[in-house]
Amino acid sequence: MLAAARSFALIGVEAREVQVEVHVGPGLPAFSLVGLPDAAVRESRERVRAALVNSGFKFPQQRITANLAPADLRKAGPSFDLAIAAALLAASEQLEPRRLERLALAGELALDGSIRPVPGTLAMAEAAGRRGSEAIAVPSANAPEAMLAEGARVIPLERLAELASLGTDQEPEPPPAPGWGPNNARPAGPDLADLRGQPYLRYALEVAAAGGHSVLIVGPPGAGKSLAARRLPSILPSPSRSEALEVLRIASASGRSPRLGLPAARPFRAPHHTISTAGLVGGGSPPRPGEVTLAHRGVLFLDELGEFSREALEALRQPLEEGRVTIVRARHAIELPCRFMLIAASNPCPCGRGEESGECECQPASVRRYRAKLSGALADRIDIAISVERPTAEQMAAAPATDSASVRERVVAARELQERRMGPGRCNAEIGLAELRRVCRLGATAKPLLADGHATLGLSGRGHDRVLRLSRTIADLDGSERVSDDHVAKALTLRRRGPR
Amino acid sequence: MNDRAPVWELGQGERGYPRSLLHLGDDAPGQLFGCGDRELVGGLAMDHTVTIVGSRRPSSYGLRVAEELGRVLAGAGLVVVSGMARGIDAAAHRGALAGGGPTIAVLGGGPDVVYPASERRLYSDILRAGAAISEAPPGRRPESWSFPVRNRIMAALGAMTVVVEAAQPSGSLITARKALELGRGVGAVPGPVTSRVSEGANGLIADGAPPIRDAQDVLDRLLGVGMTEAGRRGPALETSLARVAELVELGSRSCDGLATASGMAPGEAAVALARLELLGYVSVDADGRYARTALLPPD
Repeated sequence: MLAAARSFALIGVEAREVQVEVHVGPGLPAFSLVGLPDAAVRESRERVRAALVNSGFKFPQQRITANLAPADLRKAGPSFDLAIAAALLAASEQLEPRRLERLALAGELALDGSIRPVPGTLAMAEAAGRRGSEAIAVPSANAPEAMLAEGARVIPLERLAELASLGTDQEPEPPPAPGWGPNNARPAGPDLADLRGQPYLRYALEVAAAGGHSVLIVGPPGAGKSLAARRLPSILPSPSRSEALEVLRIASASGRSPRLGLPAARPFRAPHHTISTAGLVGGGSPPRPGEVTLAHRGVLFLDELGEFSREALEALRQPLEEGRVTIVRARHAIELPCRFMLIAASNPCPCGRGEESGECECQPASVRRYRAKLSGALADRIDIAISVERPTAEQMAAAPATDSASVRERVVAARELQERRMGPGRCNAEIGLAELRRVCRLGATAKPLLADGHATLGLSGRGHDRVLRLSRTIADLDGSERVSDDHVAKALTLRRRGPR
Repeated sequence: MNDRAPVWELGQGERGYPRSLLHLGDDAPGQLFGCGDRELVGGLAMDHTVTIVGSRRPSSYGLRVAEELGRVLAGAGLVVVSGMARGIDAAAHRGALAGGGPTIAVLGGGPDVVYPASERRLYSDILRAGAAISEAPPGRRPESWSFPVRNRIMAALGAMTVVVEAAQPSGSLITARKALELGRGVGAVPGPVTSRVSEGANGLIADGAPPIRDAQDVLDRLLGVGMTEAGRRGPALETSLARVAELVELGSRSCDGLATASGMAPGEAAVALARLELLGYVSVDADGRYARTALLPPD
């Protein structure tokens, strides 16, 4: 007999529908699995056999063929177990085939018949709704996440035996959908109040957060570079519901936090500088999201920027410019979202002490190589650069300055202005060339100042646009629609300067 | 190379032709071609002009000294002349630009031909703040013989020629000899006696040239002992800006340091620094570290 069940393969962070067909026919007892399965999928045969037997079902002593269609799509991971088991039950007349109609299934089987969580449930539940499935059966641990998708009813399963209850009144109830309320009152993570002294560094972070601008902080060790960077998420606005869904979809697809509901904070990723290119931008086989994608809608912090491999930094170019990564494989190309804010920190030279200190032991050539990395691939996309010094003992002892909550209020207000101007989820860092003139209107006194900057400071075309974007953000922080000369002046000081 | 800068021309005897070149007598170039600031070349005062030359393969010591000389001398209001060659020449130009002063590159090819091509960025910076001149017509590629020949122009333009690292023999020494023939001052930066690239400069000192230890040694000879600037004065400053300029001079080199030292809000400090930079009172390096230029506020 022949039966089919629906499941999903995870390609990057998207779910692609896979039809699981099982044929049980006469012949020597055998169980073969076809349709480009990887090792984990092939081993599914053993899990299905044991799980069926241990759940009180019979494993048919006949010739069993399972096919995963489309056959040219490479299937990976154990999430097809449940669908294979269900189709096998239907094909061996232990389950009514019509119960599998308009139902999708995803889950990994344990040998005792219980169902383990799988990555990507949110994307699968969304795909199920889009593809016209009425319901999707998922591991109960993944159910809260699946409930966030619209369209398909979620059936949380603890054990394989519960398949028998599908379509009856014993069917497990879906759990309550996880709540979601944007909570801008509570900043996430460590607080900006820990940053002593360094008023300008705080100011630069505030402007960066308000416009989503990328930042480079240069200074000797102990100047509070990473301390500051790690406090950036605490002054960013909470993600909107749709942004939070994107973040969760990625986290889920990469096998992180499957039990959590919608994240209230933006992701913060700080990969070590020894990271490979594939680890940073995504890759491998099957392709997995890299750090840039995990930082989607959040912050990517690259500490010791000069120590990252040149190749890895070069690879950041496309993600930074386009907000997505394309990974091309022989059979297909996958696209991963990666709209993140970059914050990078670096020592002034390889030894970290800096030429100024008089103790620097670096060779001029090695300093040049180091600096070339800072001004190389990423440079075009970094708007703000600031130089920091070690705070003095006096500053360390000073009373803490304002905390994240008050800074965040101003940031949220500025972002609201930007969204009103440009549409939801957009910020000044993304202003395109076409919009620049319209969005960044200069006041009467600001124009000559910028022209002056052009003539005296040798601003390049790119530098000019960077100043326009930054001054727009600074004006937004002031709640001003017009960009004044003071706004431009502040932007001129904050902007990242080209190499001499 | 197709976005060449516009070229102007100065004939011998024409208004604006540098008088110092006439000292070359029959050797004075009949025509001078240039790109960039024509007024600068026209208004060139010999006693406020210094020529810095040196090796194309310098040590990091030489580079540092040349850049520092260029920076301080330009900041003091002198015009720094050099040949834009890789190494010392380029460092001197770079220093002069960082010091906020004008600088003139005397090229071997046409004034619109960037040679060496790797100094394209420097070339465009020089055109923005100064000029490139040559006796070769626009578009002419430099030949190996054109460099020693242009050296006489460099020697004639400056009241003093400073040699920072030069091997024996070298083009820099040709320039120094020409300067001596013209009765100009010649100074040399002392280097390690074991260094091949300092042989020429040390040799000049042994022959009686004054050792140049820092920019003040040059200023002492050109402007008089103890003089620190050629009297360039900038536009008037508001009290608050003047105070910020003073704080930068006293050692507030970052925006953070300034905000802390002055008690200003960081935003205000940023505004003040941007305005001072635009007026030429402070300069910034690529890291965003500020320094006071030699520009003086008006009396």
